[in-house]
Amino acid sequence: MKGVILAFLGSFCPALLFNIEKNKLIWAGICGAAGWTAYESIYSISGNKIYAAFIASAVISLISEIMAKLLKTPATVFNVPSLFPIVPGVSAYNTILHIIENNLAAAAYKGIETLGIAGAIAFGIIFVSTIFRYINTRKRRETNEN
Amino acid sequence: MDVKEVLEIAMLSGEILLTNGSETYRVEDTVERICDAYDIESECFVIPTGIFLSGCSKNNGKESISLVKRIKGRTINLHKIEMINTFSRNLKNKKVSYDDAMKFLESLDSTPTFSYYEKLIAAGITSFAFAMLFGSSAINGVVAALISILIYFAEDKITVFNLLPFFSEFVWSLVTGILAILINKYILPIDIDTVIIGSIIVLFPGIAITNGIRDALYGDTLSSQVRLTEALYTVTAIGIGVGISLLLMKYWM
Repeated sequence: MKGVILAFLGSFCPALLFNIEKNKLIWAGICGAAGWTAYESIYSISGNKIYAAFIASAVISLISEIMAKLLKTPATVFNVPSLFPIVPGVSAYNTILHIIENNLAAAAYKGIETLGIAGAIAFGIIFVSTIFRYINTRKRRETNEN
Repeated sequence: MDVKEVLEIAMLSGEILLTNGSETYRVEDTVERICDAYDIESECFVIPTGIFLSGCSKNNGKESISLVKRIKGRTINLHKIEMINTFSRNLKNKKVSYDDAMKFLESLDSTPTFSYYEKLIAAGITSFAFAMLFGSSAINGVVAALISILIYFAEDKITVFNLLPFFSEFVWSLVTGILAILINKYILPIDIDTVIIGSIIVLFPGIAITNGIRDALYGDTLSSQVRLTEALYTVTAIGIGVGISLLLMKYWM
């Protein structure tokens, strides 16, 4: 529960730094909290950070695309701040730490973990956005034909 | 309205979109939508560092004009993107005169959504939340918040380092690391790792990465490469800054 509240704050405040409209801040926060919940629950089940990051990023993209449709704003508004809590900051930091300690085997291990999480987040976004783009283009084509 | 005026409105809208963190396809879409609303046939090509736009009237095909705009600095202000998004969508139903449109676009600069102090506090709470989220105690969170408020303030006031690209990220992450180490040594013992990660997260190029991915999805591979490379350089600059501060700690303390 503590993590969920912190994840809410951790998406709400970056959203404020990006100058989002006031009444949409709370939705960015909720989106981030949902993403963190997905990340934590998948991680506790599977113990795999990369898999958890993929699911969390897909959940975040799904919610932000739906909210973008409902509130008629660009999806980026919700997408970017909500992804902050699952960014592989700790792994990236540990990579640098191991490089400085000249422990290159551990650095490679952490570096691959960082790249894997970053790639998983990217593919989570791609996975959901592609589906939404497909629906959008279908809808546009149908309205043009009528 | 003649072709030149319409293209100027479209170009200014595109420029505001691109300098405030919009995806490439949205800029191209918006520019073409604005031109379309005034019955102008246009072709627009956008990359993160520039906009190329040419158009001619649909009724009288003789007058054709091209504009090129070089985009230099880029910040993040998603509110302006939303405003221009609605502005361009409303143009289809209700046309606006040149002066009104220009007045609207210029007024966007003077409408801040949040005050400077709100942003400072938000930067602090962000770092507090992340330091706690990465599993450390509340004291470390508060230290991270203080460092990040200081960094956010300094980044805004001291602009000397912005002259070279990626240099300011390097300097501020180095300062963050040194501050955390000094606090740990002289004031109170803290968990340096989580404090540094929490404070640094404010510098993280989140928009560049997500936009890079989204650009690739819409077929703008060139823009995607530019943005992802930019994000990679920024992250590397942050990493080197933190790394140097950790090296200092290892050998001198």
